[in-house]
Amino acid sequence: MNSLWQNVRSTRLVVLFSLAFFVLASNAFAQDGKALFKSKCSSCHTITDKASTGPGLKDVLNRIPAGDWKYNWVKNPAAVIKSGDSYIAGLYPAKFKTIMTGFPDLKNEEIDAILAYASAGPQDVATTPGATGPVGPEVVQDENNPWFIIAIIIALLIVLITTLRFTKIHLRNALNEKEGRPEEPAQPFLTASRSWVNNNKKLVGFLGFFLFCYLVVQGWYVLKGVGVYAEEVKPDQWVGYHPSQPINFSHKIHAGDNGIQCQYCHSGVEKSKHASIPSVNVCMNCHKAISQTKNEGSAEEIQKIYTAAGYDPANGTYTLVPQPLRWNKVHNLPDHVYFSHQQHVVVGGVACETCHGDVKKMGTIEQQRPLTMGWCIDCHRNTPLKMEGNGYYTELHEKMKEKYKGQPITVAMAGGLECGRCHY
Amino acid sequence: MANETKYWKGLAHLNNDSSVVEKNQNEFAEYIPVEEFVTDKGTLEANTSRRDFLKFLGFSTVAATLAACEAPVIKSVPYVNRPDEIIPGVANWYASTFFDGHDYSSIVVKTREGRPIKIEGNTLSKVTMGGTNSRTQASVLSVYDSTRLRGPKAKSGAAWADKSWEDVDKEIGGKLASAKGIAIVSSTIISPSTYRAIGEFSAKYKNVSHVTYDAVSYSGMLKANLSSFGKAMIPTYNFDKADVIVSLSCDFLGNWISPVEHAKQYSMTRKVSADKKTMSRHYQFETMLSLTGANADERFPVKPSQLGQVALGLLNGVGGAGSASSVLSKEIQTVAEALKAAKGKALVVCGSNDAAIQLVVNEINKAIGAYGTTINTSVEDFTHQGDDAAMKSLVEKLGSSVDTVIFYNSNPVYSAPKALAFEAALKKVSTKISFASHVDETAALCDYILPDHNYLEAWGDHMPRTGHYSLQQPAIRPLFSTRHAQESFLRWADNKKDYLSYVKETWQGMQGMQNVYGDFNAFWINCVRDGIFEGTAPVKTEEAPVAAIKTVTVENDSVKADQPAVVTTAAGRGISFTGGTISLDDAKSQIAAMKGGKFELAIYSKTSIGSGNQANNPWLQEMPDPISKITWDNYVTMHPADAQAMNLFGVETESGMMVRFDQMEDNLDVVNVTANGHTVKLPVWVQPGQAKGTIGIAVGYGRKGFNEYVDNIGQNIFPAVAITASGTMGFDAYEASVAKVDGETYRIAATQTHHTMMGRNTDILRETTLAEYLKDERAGNPAVTMHTYKGEQAVEDVNLWNDFERPVHKWNMAIDLNSCIGCGACVVACTIENNVPVVGRDEVRKSREMHWLRIDRYYSSSTVKAEAEEKGEMGTMELYRNMENPTFDNPKVAFQPVMCQHCNHAGCETVCPVIATTHSNEGLNQMTYNRCVGTRYCANNCAYKVRRFNWFNYVEYHRFKGLNPAQDDIGRMVLNPDVTVRARGVMEKCSMCAQRIQAGKLEAKKAGRKVIDGEIKTACMQSCPTDAIIFGDVLDPESKVAKMVKDGRKFEVLEVVGTQPNVFYMTKVWNREDKNAHI
Repeated sequence: MNSLWQNVRSTRLVVLFSLAFFVLASNAFAQDGKALFKSKCSSCHTITDKASTGPGLKDVLNRIPAGDWKYNWVKNPAAVIKSGDSYIAGLYPAKFKTIMTGFPDLKNEEIDAILAYASAGPQDVATTPGATGPVGPEVVQDENNPWFIIAIIIALLIVLITTLRFTKIHLRNALNEKEGRPEEPAQPFLTASRSWVNNNKKLVGFLGFFLFCYLVVQGWYVLKGVGVYAEEVKPDQWVGYHPSQPINFSHKIHAGDNGIQCQYCHSGVEKSKHASIPSVNVCMNCHKAISQTKNEGSAEEIQKIYTAAGYDPANGTYTLVPQPLRWNKVHNLPDHVYFSHQQHVVVGGVACETCHGDVKKMGTIEQQRPLTMGWCIDCHRNTPLKMEGNGYYTELHEKMKEKYKGQPITVAMAGGLECGRCHY
Repeated sequence: MANETKYWKGLAHLNNDSSVVEKNQNEFAEYIPVEEFVTDKGTLEANTSRRDFLKFLGFSTVAATLAACEAPVIKSVPYVNRPDEIIPGVANWYASTFFDGHDYSSIVVKTREGRPIKIEGNTLSKVTMGGTNSRTQASVLSVYDSTRLRGPKAKSGAAWADKSWEDVDKEIGGKLASAKGIAIVSSTIISPSTYRAIGEFSAKYKNVSHVTYDAVSYSGMLKANLSSFGKAMIPTYNFDKADVIVSLSCDFLGNWISPVEHAKQYSMTRKVSADKKTMSRHYQFETMLSLTGANADERFPVKPSQLGQVALGLLNGVGGAGSASSVLSKEIQTVAEALKAAKGKALVVCGSNDAAIQLVVNEINKAIGAYGTTINTSVEDFTHQGDDAAMKSLVEKLGSSVDTVIFYNSNPVYSAPKALAFEAALKKVSTKISFASHVDETAALCDYILPDHNYLEAWGDHMPRTGHYSLQQPAIRPLFSTRHAQESFLRWADNKKDYLSYVKETWQGMQGMQNVYGDFNAFWINCVRDGIFEGTAPVKTEEAPVAAIKTVTVENDSVKADQPAVVTTAAGRGISFTGGTISLDDAKSQIAAMKGGKFELAIYSKTSIGSGNQANNPWLQEMPDPISKITWDNYVTMHPADAQAMNLFGVETESGMMVRFDQMEDNLDVVNVTANGHTVKLPVWVQPGQAKGTIGIAVGYGRKGFNEYVDNIGQNIFPAVAITASGTMGFDAYEASVAKVDGETYRIAATQTHHTMMGRNTDILRETTLAEYLKDERAGNPAVTMHTYKGEQAVEDVNLWNDFERPVHKWNMAIDLNSCIGCGACVVACTIENNVPVVGRDEVRKSREMHWLRIDRYYSSSTVKAEAEEKGEMGTMELYRNMENPTFDNPKVAFQPVMCQHCNHAGCETVCPVIATTHSNEGLNQMTYNRCVGTRYCANNCAYKVRRFNWFNYVEYHRFKGLNPAQDDIGRMVLNPDVTVRARGVMEKCSMCAQRIQAGKLEAKKAGRKVIDGEIKTACMQSCPTDAIIFGDVLDPESKVAKMVKDGRKFEVLEVVGTQPNVFYMTKVWNREDKNAHI
């Protein structure tokens, strides 16, 4: 038994080790190349054959001069041009006007990695997560899944037990034959198991007890998983909520990469209690002109806006039947809460990020704050009331300064914890 | 003095009978059927075994677990193309006009995300001056009435078939072309464009006649004025210029001509303050105890048949050619002297529709110099043009020279007197067309129903009086396939124009009346924005009545500048009136011939239901009648002595009263009333103040054609209307028979004796007389003190609690009892603003009405303790019994609106076990519905009984289907999205319109300024036509309310309890001669 266990364990280690090695080895340089390319090169180069500020880098390794030329060029392009290099003279200034920025810090291996990645051109594997279709929670593929190993062990054990049992029966039969005893009648399986159970009450009881405990524990986790019981009231049980949306809209691209102000689309934020999801005509302000971007799947997604707006891109007219978009609301408050965006944004000067998190980095919008009453109240307790320069608060400010000498005056001190401020 | 006066909330209360005593002692006014439940056999004999129970338990646990697995996904659907003016979450306001043939109001409509949810008065209007009444307030619900017809219908056999507009136009066009004579029967039309459309229609077809028929007619006035001034017209009244007001059966505050305007003017003369210490004096002669009569300084009950005599007596008294009256001669003399003394500042109004009496009233007004001062004949009121004589002659022509009838906003089968035999005559007509929105009584007999738009869906224009125009703009797209009635007329006249362009054409003709806007579009847009145009320039104000009055974009092409339309208005053509004239001698002889029988019947309009146009409006039905406090029914009002004589409540009591008060609400005796050949069976309500030998029944009930619930409310008394000797419809029957229906009783739904003030009446309502008030500002309002070991101390100094801090605001509300007329507009406005559920008749019977704001009506008794003690004729027992004993004949009445008093030391707050009701640092008593677990401790501990408990889920429970507007998907759209719809099992109460306060504060914060006084108005304050309710911040020394706190008339209800409420009242001042007459 002991040896078997050791055997299994060592097998597992071998398997694990080889798996890990394989995975790491195959990805190492490509990963580096991609990351480096994105950070250093992608603003001027593409990995296709399309030229941007600089030439497209697909198959670049096949066309540039061999040897150290590539290192020299990347590290100090000006020097290479100055040297009157014949290859570059065909490109600059005839095709490209701007001299490439030098990257003297890059190591040769890194340059190799970048060029290997870029030269290979776009891969079939989607590089933007969830570029098409609804985005669900990502299923984590864990190669070190213990269940796999346990299953193998169980299978081995079953085989072992069966083999041993047969061996035992054969041995007994052989012994019986040898000693001249009559062959034991073959008992039906059920009777046999029952008698086995009877003979091994302790073992069965023991196993049964373990099985029972196991099921209870597992059942407990299953129920907990669906939220029947939370160990404590988890303030963050909705944190991370990111339902799939009818359009795979990325705040990262719009608010982050392109720096569009939140208020441009969420125009209600300063006028109403609702920030409001923009109507489709707001999308069309830009997307009438932008029907495709370099992001993959963008054309299909933008087409969804056109469908919603009833816009016919071929003719540039709004002649089709509009189909309103049904977004899945992410930041939800209960109906009996009257939260006003304008109160917080205009009067309180609260930044959008305070409650909505770093939206500029979110591909799919997700809830990052608990939005529970406790969370609201915490903020009201700790946030200084913005009174300076607001005529509404002049008298209050005087009174409060006198009362709480030196202390910061929080929203709560001015009544920001009262029920009737939000519930009526 | 005032605080020695005993008030009683009803006859039962007055008589101190066992039921009231019991109710006062009980913790809950209502009965909780616990016993019934536990003794229910079905409950006890349930055959659920223990095993079954465990199965259910297991199943429900699993079901709950599974149900909890999926988190709800909330969808959000933004506009495809957001209209520019709509910002989700922000209300838009549109100026418009409400006119239903009975009430006129210039209004602004609050819309949220494109749906109208609230109506408020348009302060720019010089007619209604920003006031509304309960009917105008409630009318917003009519657009969401899911029982409205959804398209044109034609009768096929006995059933109705849906038709398309093209088909009905074709069919009707054919029938009209071959018609012998066409009659259009409409209620009063004040729309210039509608006149034009009808004019075009009349020009196209031959023999078209237009009969104006009003259910509640003013023909008597038209006829009298035609006789007096040679012109059939109704003048406008300036109650604000009158020092002496005499009303003869005229409910000018509730129902007469322009009640909102009159209430506003009247209240101006009634308000007193440190700066204005004068008041008008108001005398009332009437049969019923009306809303106006309840506000009168002196009131004299008269029988309908005596009204003419009273008028003649007054005429005689003021020096005209009248004759001495045989009744009330002394009182008449007093009133006549007062009128003479106030010559040029006096006014006599009369609500009778008898031309003879109205003519005498005209003579009185001439004699006291009212014309040109308190009555303006050069500005005519056009809102009531009903011509009774024309209707009478139409009935004769029906079936002979008239074979086609078109009904526009008119329902004569319901409202015509039986004497006219309208229904029988109508059956002889071959083609009958109605524009009704429901299959109402008249439409049911028609061949076609072509539903008109609701007024909130329609364009329109109105000319309520000379020189005043107002526009009606839609606030929502038509919900159903309805059409402007005017467009129907135009289609049949082969005019394809849409009605908006048509209205604009009319207004092009009016552009010349002003010289501010040379461009028509500019003129039009400003008129649409303001909602009104009053002859000269449209009022240009920086401060529109509300922040954002929006206008629709006007297409240039629809207006053709070279073709100014002809304005055909009532003013241009004069009110068409065929009733002829009457001479004073004829009038006198007619009055002399007025003789009454054993009972006389007064037919009146209620403040809530009016003429019954909105009888299917649950808000109006549930609004308690200002006097009787009865909801959901009409009934027979009768003097207690008459009831006793009829043996209706015939049990002798110790005090000599013969009224069985303990049975009063639960078991009203039922009588058959027959008058003018029409019999109705209704319960009898004993009404103090009713003239002896008379009964009163309200019109507007017994409507049919809505839904099961509405079709069973009350009885229709319109058929009992008489045709008077002067040829008009007389809303009195001088001869009525009353017969008790044996063995039948009726349980009425009254809010009357519920929620009593626990017998501590002296601390509730304070009054004084003008003479006393002039001597001492605090007359009738002595300081309340407490005996302590330190001696007498002011109540507010004897304090159990620490005071709250008030860092920014301290909201207070002042209610001026001198201005409050008890009309109930605030009750309806509050219901609408705060999503207060409608509970229906059965629940009101159990005292479960949900109104956050109630108006208590107190009758007062005439026995004064001090006087009686002085005389020493009575023992203590007898004294107190008599103090509770009013003169049945003519009790004084006082109104007091009561809502949550937002106590600084609130009883409710200290007893809530879950801290669901808390105090804000602005002085508000907050109710947090989601915390409430429904113990109702707070309601028990509330000194003012203003808390309401949600016994049911009124918006979903099937029992409330058909009566709670939130029960269906269309009706639900009227709910205010800024206020939570409360669930079953939670307590609720007045929040002082917290949503409005929050919104107002936010505006101030955004602008970086302080809240401006008057910027935040609660719904009740906004709707009050007499400005009796003032809300504001007492920490702002310039605010109105801060000044009122310092006024000598300020008092708090139950001040002695020490609750220190944030709602306070102003002592009621009466202008009565008698020192003790305020009692």
